Amino acid sequence: MALVIAGSSLTSVSAQSGDDGWSDDGWGDDPWAREQTGWQWYGFVEGAVAPRLQDDPAVDDDYTVAEARVQIEGERQLGDYTATIKADAWLDGVEEGGRGDLREANLAGRLTPQTDIRFGRQIITWGTGDLVFLNDLFPKDYVAFFSGRGDEYLKAPTDAVKLSWFGDVNVDVVWMPRATPNRFITGERLSFFSREAGRRVAAPPQIDPRERDQVGGDSEFALRMYQTIDGIEYAGYAYHGYDKQPSARDPDTGRAYFPRLTSFGASVRGPLLGGIANLETAYYHGEDDNGRDPDRPNDEWRWLGGYEHEPFSDLTLGWQYSLEWIQDHDELLDALTNEQRRYAPDEYRHLLTNRVTWQGQRQNLTLSLFTFYSPSDADYYLRPRARYRFSDRLTGTAGVNLFGGQDDWTFHTQLEDNSNTYLRLRYNF
Amino acid sequence: MRKTLRLSLLLIAGLSTGAAHAQMSNASEIVEAANIASYYAGDDGRSAARMTIVDGDGSRQRRQFTLLRQDVADGGDQRYLVVFSRPADIRGTVFRVEKHVGESDDRWLYLPALDLINRIAAGDKRTSFVGSHFYYEDISGRGTEADRHTLIETTDDHYIIESTPKDPDNVAFARYRTRIDRDTLLPMRTEYQREDGEVYRRMVVAEVETIDGYPTGTEVRMEDLDTGGYTLTQFRFSDYDIGLPSRIFSERSLRNPPRDWLRRE
Repeated sequence: MALVIAGSSLTSVSAQSGDDGWSDDGWGDDPWAREQTGWQWYGFVEGAVAPRLQDDPAVDDDYTVAEARVQIEGERQLGDYTATIKADAWLDGVEEGGRGDLREANLAGRLTPQTDIRFGRQIITWGTGDLVFLNDLFPKDYVAFFSGRGDEYLKAPTDAVKLSWFGDVNVDVVWMPRATPNRFITGERLSFFSREAGRRVAAPPQIDPRERDQVGGDSEFALRMYQTIDGIEYAGYAYHGYDKQPSARDPDTGRAYFPRLTSFGASVRGPLLGGIANLETAYYHGEDDNGRDPDRPNDEWRWLGGYEHEPFSDLTLGWQYSLEWIQDHDELLDALTNEQRRYAPDEYRHLLTNRVTWQGQRQNLTLSLFTFYSPSDADYYLRPRARYRFSDRLTGTAGVNLFGGQDDWTFHTQLEDNSNTYLRLRYNF
Repeated sequence: MRKTLRLSLLLIAGLSTGAAHAQMSNASEIVEAANIASYYAGDDGRSAARMTIVDGDGSRQRRQFTLLRQDVADGGDQRYLVVFSRPADIRGTVFRVEKHVGESDDRWLYLPALDLINRIAAGDKRTSFVGSHFYYEDISGRGTEADRHTLIETTDDHYIIESTPKDPDNVAFARYRTRIDRDTLLPMRTEYQREDGEVYRRMVVAEVETIDGYPTGTEVRMEDLDTGGYTLTQFRFSDYDIGLPSRIFSERSLRNPPRDWLRRE
């Protein structure tokens, strides 16, 4: 009935070494010692393989992932600020060679009593969706997500200054001095459907859009205003930058590029009937605001409704419905050639998702299934997964990325030949 | 506020001073007083905590976190912030709770790798707290109204209370017995029984220290008698009544924990 949320006072902060059978602990130091100063280092080594479930005629590789990875993370207090560095290096059996990725390198702290700042390379997330993003227009790494890497790799890093002001209404302002796109499918690791070719293709040639990497000139801005009132979270969003996907084509050169994108949105999230309900909307103002240019994206209005609850102990269910509504669909169809019209997106794209998560053996075992199903595209994406925590240091994850559907050119069906099963083993240090 | 309540409880119990053994005979009063002593010491509190989770097969896991608590009202709503520092795969995770007595708590979880703030459905409070043998309910308190309480014995040092759930379908136990120290009013041992009386889960307070005037369980063990597994939780560097500002129990602290208030004195 009672565990006391309180502790003991050792009047001095002297280390309690070797007490109560803790001395054989695996911490490698004395956990009761004074707080650390200087750099603290953490990390993991991970082996991952993800064989394709079928041959991919477009890609000459039986694996979507085959790698040995090490991640090093360093953290240090500098007065009121925290410096963080997180870097990955891996031997890649798919792209054949060593690879590196600086995921975080930033300084975070209190600028004033009411303002926080995070400056540098960082991961930024907001919005209410579960693996569905409307107002979160920060870069994603769909290649990692689809090919069998860990969930944390879905978010790609971005170089940014994030200012957070806390008051009656909280405000986040993010400035990204140069645009950071998604790590989108280029055809190097995963095949995709090419409308020009009329079939699934892969590299070479890989998609090579025009960069938006001019510091200052290619700036992006994101804004969030939010507050929680009586347990209900309200938020408003704005974004001014570029589409994260190379969704436009230069008619003269035929080269893909990242078109301008401005968006506004809102969300609300709160408890409902014992679960958590969320509603979010975003209006995307694309480069083509009258719909007559098939090479550039239309305006879109997106909606998302979700509900998550725990019907039984240790079992969580999540449901989402999202709608992508193209605003000038008739004009878009009129502008397309007959040949291209069959590939045109529907005016309304409906997407349903479901998440089932069960935790057992005191949370050491997690079984989950995430399902994306689009009735309008007639396609699906299933993500069954089992995760086992052998110890504080060792975790194993096995799962499947299964894509399928009716028409080769829809979002999930185009990835069918990339369906894979993966196994990852991670050792933390 | 708290002291006044404690004193009035003692006065109700027919005592003129709190120095001697309390002499209470009303089970509900005893349970209320024990609830206050266990979960509401001071108006707020900070503590470092570490858990050793031992499975029946002897394998061990660790958790280490700092806990901040603020009472909205004694015996009523509370705010919690739990900042994890170990092990590596949980480090940086922050858990925030707005505890509401008599209705669902609001709970948030921050996952640093994705910079993601998850809102957690209220759900079952009798599930494992971060993989330990303790439940959420053991950490933040089981509402005293959830059970019927009977004083079955008063010994020289203890009250023995038997509690039966008002809603037996929601819990695994048929009843539980709590041994409450008459001096400190701290529950020292709680044993959960099945219908046939078999004890399958036991909480034992192994060490008590008086901190800032509040008797505090500083070492608590939760045993799963079915598997032989247990979790030992130790609390250190605790302080009460440190004047935590309400504003630190907010989304800001999930992404940027309030270091000034987490720092050990």
